[in-house]
Amino acid sequence: MKQENIRNFCIIAHIDHGKSTLADRILETTGAMDKREMKDQMLDSMDLERERGITIKLNAVQLSYKWHGECYQLNLIDTPGHVDFSYEVSRSLAACEGAILVVDASQGVEAQTLANLYLALDNNLTIIPVINKIDLPSADPEKVIKELETIGFGREEIVLTSAKTGVGIEELLEKVIERIPSPKGEKAKPLKALIFDSLFDSYRGVITSLRVVDGEVRVGQNIKMMETGAIYDVVGLSINTPKEEKVNSLSAGEVGYLYASIKSISDVHVGDTVTLEENPAAERLPGYKPMKPTVYCGLYPIESNKFEDLREALEKLKLNDAALTYEPETSKALGFGFRCGFLGLLHMEIIEERIEREFGIDLIATSPSVVYEVVLTDKTKVMVDSPTKMPRREIISKTLEPYVKASIFTPSEYIGPIMELCQDKRGNFINMEYLDETRVTIHYDIPLSEIVYDFFDRLKSSTKGYASFDYEISDYKESNLVKMDILLNGEIVDALSVIVHKDFAYSRGRIVCEKLKEIIPRQLFEVPIQAAIGGHVIARETVRALRKDVLAKCYGGDVTRKKKLLEKQKEGKKRMKQIGSVEVPQEAFLSILSTKE
Amino acid sequence: MTKYCYVHIPFCKTICSYCDFCKLLYEPNLVDRYLDALEREIDSIYQGEVLETIYIGGGTPSCLNMVQLERLFQILNKLNKSKEVEITIEGNFESTTKEKLEFYQKQGVNRLSFGMESMSEKNLEFLERSFNKEEAEKVIKEARKFGFQNINIDLMYALPKETIEDLKEDLSYLFSLEPEHISTYSLILEDHTKLALKNIQPMDEELDAKMYEEICQEMRNHSYEHYEISNFAKKGKESRHNLCYWNNEEYYGFGLGASSYIGNERKSNTKSLTQYLRKNEYREIETVGEKEKIEYEVILNLRKKEGISLEKFQEKYNRDFWKIFPCMELVNQKLLKVEENHLSIPENKWYISNEIIVQILEREKYE
Repeated sequence: MKQENIRNFCIIAHIDHGKSTLADRILETTGAMDKREMKDQMLDSMDLERERGITIKLNAVQLSYKWHGECYQLNLIDTPGHVDFSYEVSRSLAACEGAILVVDASQGVEAQTLANLYLALDNNLTIIPVINKIDLPSADPEKVIKELETIGFGREEIVLTSAKTGVGIEELLEKVIERIPSPKGEKAKPLKALIFDSLFDSYRGVITSLRVVDGEVRVGQNIKMMETGAIYDVVGLSINTPKEEKVNSLSAGEVGYLYASIKSISDVHVGDTVTLEENPAAERLPGYKPMKPTVYCGLYPIESNKFEDLREALEKLKLNDAALTYEPETSKALGFGFRCGFLGLLHMEIIEERIEREFGIDLIATSPSVVYEVVLTDKTKVMVDSPTKMPRREIISKTLEPYVKASIFTPSEYIGPIMELCQDKRGNFINMEYLDETRVTIHYDIPLSEIVYDFFDRLKSSTKGYASFDYEISDYKESNLVKMDILLNGEIVDALSVIVHKDFAYSRGRIVCEKLKEIIPRQLFEVPIQAAIGGHVIARETVRALRKDVLAKCYGGDVTRKKKLLEKQKEGKKRMKQIGSVEVPQEAFLSILSTKE
Repeated sequence: MTKYCYVHIPFCKTICSYCDFCKLLYEPNLVDRYLDALEREIDSIYQGEVLETIYIGGGTPSCLNMVQLERLFQILNKLNKSKEVEITIEGNFESTTKEKLEFYQKQGVNRLSFGMESMSEKNLEFLERSFNKEEAEKVIKEARKFGFQNINIDLMYALPKETIEDLKEDLSYLFSLEPEHISTYSLILEDHTKLALKNIQPMDEELDAKMYEEICQEMRNHSYEHYEISNFAKKGKESRHNLCYWNNEEYYGFGLGASSYIGNERKSNTKSLTQYLRKNEYREIETVGEKEKIEYEVILNLRKKEGISLEKFQEKYNRDFWKIFPCMELVNQKLLKVEENHLSIPENKWYISNEIIVQILEREKYE
């Protein structure tokens, strides 16, 4: 394929604006898949992706399209739409020259539309704005065109499509060929290929997704990972059409997969540059700045003998998810587990679900925590990502917590409730911008811990779901933070401790105690539940002792029924964690997140 | 050797709101066909053992007319009985006539069981039952005349609006009838009952437990022995049939919905009359191996005051109880007690016995 006939592009959008459906339609229009073969959202191969309707792992597919008698190679690189995954978005952007920006014809520009747009502009991509779902009765393309004009697009650049009916798709593909530049690299130079993704296959080892920038790679050559120095023999190269097709080489501008019997996961870093052992490139591609996790939680296997399995699962997930971090942690209450770091709450939930589903390990997750900065009286700084690592109060001189710049997009009638919510969440108002008469962006500085707590749910409920929201980490600000412990039967349960703002400790303590009282079943003995700060009890509830648990009647000798009942009761106990003499159900560990007042 | 036998008569003249037993509205033609099917079932299964107890339960066996009762006993007379056989028949006061009492007596019935449940107006309304004091007193008096010296009365408590005072009244009336045996049951809201359809909520656990304590106390005051979680009796008047279940003994179960335990099988008959009449008797069969037998031994025996005889356990299974169930910890916590080589649950913990039994089973190390 001539390099000038190659186009590498991705699709970016706010969540739910129809990105994956648009990708499906493009696949169909280019003939990569016929209708019979189409499953909805073809590119989302993980079950979880299809169920949740979001794209978690990026995916690249090679399409061919004939236009004006020329054959073009279109490489479509799918990206996730959620804010937690902006790291992955930036990975796929680095492999492209252009991006299709999808906006829903009835919902218009949303918070993540902008966030993704700015990310794409930072990567010097050519943007093609698309208004999708124009077939919907509620569609208002004219209004959305105006919104796009306000953020700098010309009316003539905008393509109107309906991924559902297929309207506008050919026009869109023509725009992609016309406007997105072909890749710039040179085939004659030494090989430089960017690893933008990888995954583990039990038969072939690590498979990496590559964007060849300069040079060419062929099956049988020896390649070298420039960062780790590892050298491997290329066993196979392939492209995804979206069926896997083997090829003999990949050259400058092309996108494909490489496998080389790589058994050691640690040899492959996403963002690293692949070159040839013979005639290597002089320097690496810029790669990625790894994103730092912002949210941490403890993950523990319910069955303690699954600890090693959990380690293996995390190792495999980390392979194509560099943002995930983990280190072993021990809890008095929960035994051996891992302290894991995530980009955000959704990222955390997805990792938990993937571990439970794909690896079959039942987990207890402790409540999420952000990373606090603690300055001690001797001026040393400590980063605290877990309540158990909080230093003693006597040696703390000050505490700081991370803040985010939150941008909330909303119809103007919800400005009041949103400002109320943000104030509740200790936010500082920055400013407000009108997109048009009825739509506004409100900017706030808010502690990240409040976002992690219940901000998103409350934003949705106070705006009937109309507001959308995006945030970026800004800086650390001083804050009066304390560690709140929870005691069951007089003993601190380390896995239930949290760091909270002192002014909110009493109400949080009360809510958590009430919630635990609901969740912890009555036991043979009375169980006091207490919330305490440094030994000082601030809230208390009691789970009263079990008074009745008996099957009085025997139905004409039907004792089988009684045995079944007892067996069910016994099974139920297996899902509980024994802490001291108290049996605690799994969901108790997330009760700290409870938002019910 | 199977020495105990349960026979189920599923018919009732009215259906009580709480009832989850296998019951049908009384219909004379159906009763006749049912009795034929019952006879066929007994003929095909009964192996001729000498029986120690026969328990005719329901339903309301006393609602059968004289002809039907005669037919029933004609069938039951095929069973061999020991000299000391205990034969119980259940019934209600309104359908138990003098004629029937006389007939029972002639047929060797020596134990009567009546469902009184409650005499408080609001409870009766809730239960969709009726109760007439004079009638009850008359029946008891007649029964005494025919020489019945072992009468049980059922009492129900923990009904949604019941108070401790209501319960005390029920108890005091019950004692005035001087039954030898009293069975008490707190209301269980079962699926498929009229109550479940009305979405009735159970009584608060605390009050329910207090009522149970009140009953236990009053029974002590009136010299009834609390020999099993739900049962009280004057000395020597314990229900031998009931005890066969809790002693993990084998028993026949004939009739619609009846359960049996013979050899290595616990069977439950179908609850569908059509199926039963078509000879499709079994609903469920559970095969019990040694492990299951041992588990039943624990589950069932611990309902009794005397608990499990560790000596008999050793004899029966040739295994050491403590090796299979290392639960000394529970003894230390006073959830279990050991006395005269019997392991039992202390009476003040009976109301939470399920939890204790589950804790024992959790420690099971059967190999």
